[in-house]
Amino acid sequence: MNNEPITRRESLKRIGRISAGITIGNGLLGPLTSILANAEAPKGQPIAGWMVEGLGEKPDYSIKTLTRRVFDTAGGISKFINKGDVVVLKPNISWAQAPDLAVTTNPEVMVAVIELCQEAGAKKVRIADNTINDAGRCFAVTGAAGVAEKTGADLVYPRSSMMKKMNLHGHRLDVWPVFTPFVEADKIINLPVAKVHGLSVLTLGMKNWIGGVGGRRSALHQDIHQSIVDLAQFFKPQLTLIDATRILIANGPSGGSSSDVKIVNRLILSNDPVAADTRAAQLFGKTPEDIGFIRLGNKWGLGSSDLDRLTRRSVSL
Amino acid sequence: MKIRHLVWIRRFTQAFFLGLFAVLLVLAQLPRNVDIDYSQSFSEAQHTGESETPSSPDIRISQPVALFFHMDPLVWLSSVISTRHWMAGFGWAIIILLATFFSGRFFCGFICPFGTLHHMVGAIRPTLGKKQTMQANQTVGSRRIKYFLLITILSAAAVGVNFAGLLDPISFLFRGLGLAALPAGGVGLHDIFDFLAASDVKLLNYIGYIGETVAAPIFGYENKVVQTGWVIGILFLVIMFLNRIRPRFWCRTLCPLGALLGLCSRFTTLRLEKDPDKCSHCGRCVQACQGAASPEPGQTWHTNECLMCFNCTARCPEDALAFHFKLPAARKRKFDVGRRALMSGIVAGVSLPLLGRLDGRSDRNPSSSLIRPPGSLPEPEFLDRCQRCGLCMKVCPTGVIQPALSAAGMTGFWTPALVMTLGYCEYTCTLCTSVCPTGAIAQLSVQEKIKTPVRIGSAYIDRGRCLPWNGNAPCIVCEEHCPTSPKAIYFKNDAITRPGGQPIPVQLPFIDLTRCIGCGICENKCPVRGKPAIRTLSAGESRSLENQILL
Repeated sequence: MNNEPITRRESLKRIGRISAGITIGNGLLGPLTSILANAEAPKGQPIAGWMVEGLGEKPDYSIKTLTRRVFDTAGGISKFINKGDVVVLKPNISWAQAPDLAVTTNPEVMVAVIELCQEAGAKKVRIADNTINDAGRCFAVTGAAGVAEKTGADLVYPRSSMMKKMNLHGHRLDVWPVFTPFVEADKIINLPVAKVHGLSVLTLGMKNWIGGVGGRRSALHQDIHQSIVDLAQFFKPQLTLIDATRILIANGPSGGSSSDVKIVNRLILSNDPVAADTRAAQLFGKTPEDIGFIRLGNKWGLGSSDLDRLTRRSVSL
Repeated sequence: MKIRHLVWIRRFTQAFFLGLFAVLLVLAQLPRNVDIDYSQSFSEAQHTGESETPSSPDIRISQPVALFFHMDPLVWLSSVISTRHWMAGFGWAIIILLATFFSGRFFCGFICPFGTLHHMVGAIRPTLGKKQTMQANQTVGSRRIKYFLLITILSAAAVGVNFAGLLDPISFLFRGLGLAALPAGGVGLHDIFDFLAASDVKLLNYIGYIGETVAAPIFGYENKVVQTGWVIGILFLVIMFLNRIRPRFWCRTLCPLGALLGLCSRFTTLRLEKDPDKCSHCGRCVQACQGAASPEPGQTWHTNECLMCFNCTARCPEDALAFHFKLPAARKRKFDVGRRALMSGIVAGVSLPLLGRLDGRSDRNPSSSLIRPPGSLPEPEFLDRCQRCGLCMKVCPTGVIQPALSAAGMTGFWTPALVMTLGYCEYTCTLCTSVCPTGAIAQLSVQEKIKTPVRIGSAYIDRGRCLPWNGNAPCIVCEEHCPTSPKAIYFKNDAITRPGGQPIPVQLPFIDLTRCIGCGICENKCPVRGKPAIRTLSAGESRSLENQILL
């Protein structure tokens, strides 16, 4: 019973992708099929990966405007979001801490992305995260509740009826309870914040997917890097936008003090989860070799840690 | 005004206060849709990285969820006796107590939501026939049990332990509904919603989703765990059921608040006037009497038993009964307490706290497993005040605050204790400190809690069970979740021999006791099930001078 994937229409699409994942995982086809991104590949590029980096240079730049400019530079939101899509955002709102402490995703970024999706004609925008602290408190304190209130997005309260046992078909992970909004989404946008972490060194985009499952998550740490890659392989967002407006450089991932925060004023948008994490890691002075899940993600063909293989653009305010 | 109107006014008043109690009960939780202006906290730090105080907001419940406790004269009087302080916030309780001297137990008849429930269970489609009801409504000697209990409670309060909440009707009702009925209802509902959500029929999914959305503001999204919840619930059901055998069993026989108000109404000026000449002894008054106060002409009316329901006057077909404001005739009758009830009450009340202290929990030998909510007063003062009402347990978002079974000893039965395997004390949460009706948990701001810091205990590592320490796997979950900055859990890198023989590099966790606040999130999130490899004890709690580890 547990091994049966859910039978809804939306999930059928997902199953197709999962089986693609297995093929890649087995290394049968190698990196050739690795990027299953929605974005069109610019002609002449070896892979379809691309990255846009936004930098706020002026002292009073607007984070919202910068977010919009980053998407504009990537070709506009309507390139990724179709009319009538159900879009699910995965911010990191796992800790009930004020947003200035760089522990959770910047609410300004969330607002900007939600408004963009709505402008592109999304039928519904949902914010989903299976939080670590009490969900109600996380929603209130991180500003996510305010974001939902302001934009009209759905803030999904994680609960048992929304956890479905599914086979992740990972190298390390098989049957886990999955937070269903992600399964039912037409498009997924990952909105992590960049933080240090005691075990995985950093927590960036791929690790954010620990918030996409339920169950005995604390046991994942016994093989953290492979677990992260298995999860990232399963959820496979259309876009990853790493919030590095400010990053947590110490005491991660829970933070708690403004002295742990470094202001970087950057946003990293990519269709390649490995590349996005690679770039964010550089902000901490780390290379792909330092971080197990980036190495593994590259190895299993989830994306590229070689940023030179991507089309890169930047925009500043 | 016609007497019959008075009965309807009473019913409306009862319905109003029962409804108000239910609304406040449901609202006693983390407020939903808290809309905090994040831009304010963020804009300061956005560009400079310098914000003086990382500002987690103080989330508070805006409605007065402790209102009924503040209206309760027994809560007030027992706390005044045990603390030797005039308690703040109990204006309504004092007014009700004073008004009782003039107008009898109107609280029982008009206001008390527990009384209203008893009234309903006993009076709506009663099991008893007319004769049986008249039999059950006779004034009997068991009415004195409540005076015994009242005197026990007040004597115990004088000796230093406030037991009032175990039998106080408001606390009893709050526990019964908030810690048993609502959580149990939630368990049942969540089963239904999970079932509907798992269905392959889209319509059922949709119905389940709607149902859950409607039910969540009352029952929450998750099952709530309540230690001894079944005891609280069965006790509540039994007390409710007894109304079918003897109407208002609780109010007549057990309620210590009823006893207190009864004593105060001994010489009430609102009196039942009987006209024996008009009476035809039809027995309707006795049949309808809620308090078993002998309303029938020819019998002596028991002022302290009368619940001021006005049923007798409304039912009397001969107009032989009427309530009037009138000075009581100067009869030198003693209080209807009974000498045995008085003496045994004092003996029990004095001995229980003293016997309870024999375990040394409140002074020499603090219980290591008794972790009190943040802001709790030192143990003796805590026991002076705590009503065991369950308000802190109901509002706790993680459900860590549980009614203590044995952790606090006999004197602390059902007082709040933190059980970290069921939840943890969230770093930026101070909700429980804002609701305690008697201040047993003193109000804290998030700033005070974090900056002081307020410690509720300390953690220790069981190296035999800890995965890195015993060489079974790398793991850092306790450190990851540790909320203080800098963290109270730190690592030493080492290599440990795996069970198979090969060495693996691990990060071995250690605890810095100067930083640990005892919040218990490490114990709660530890992947080692059964008995977590990191556990929390009360030693190190800020409220105690004795229960410490470091100098």
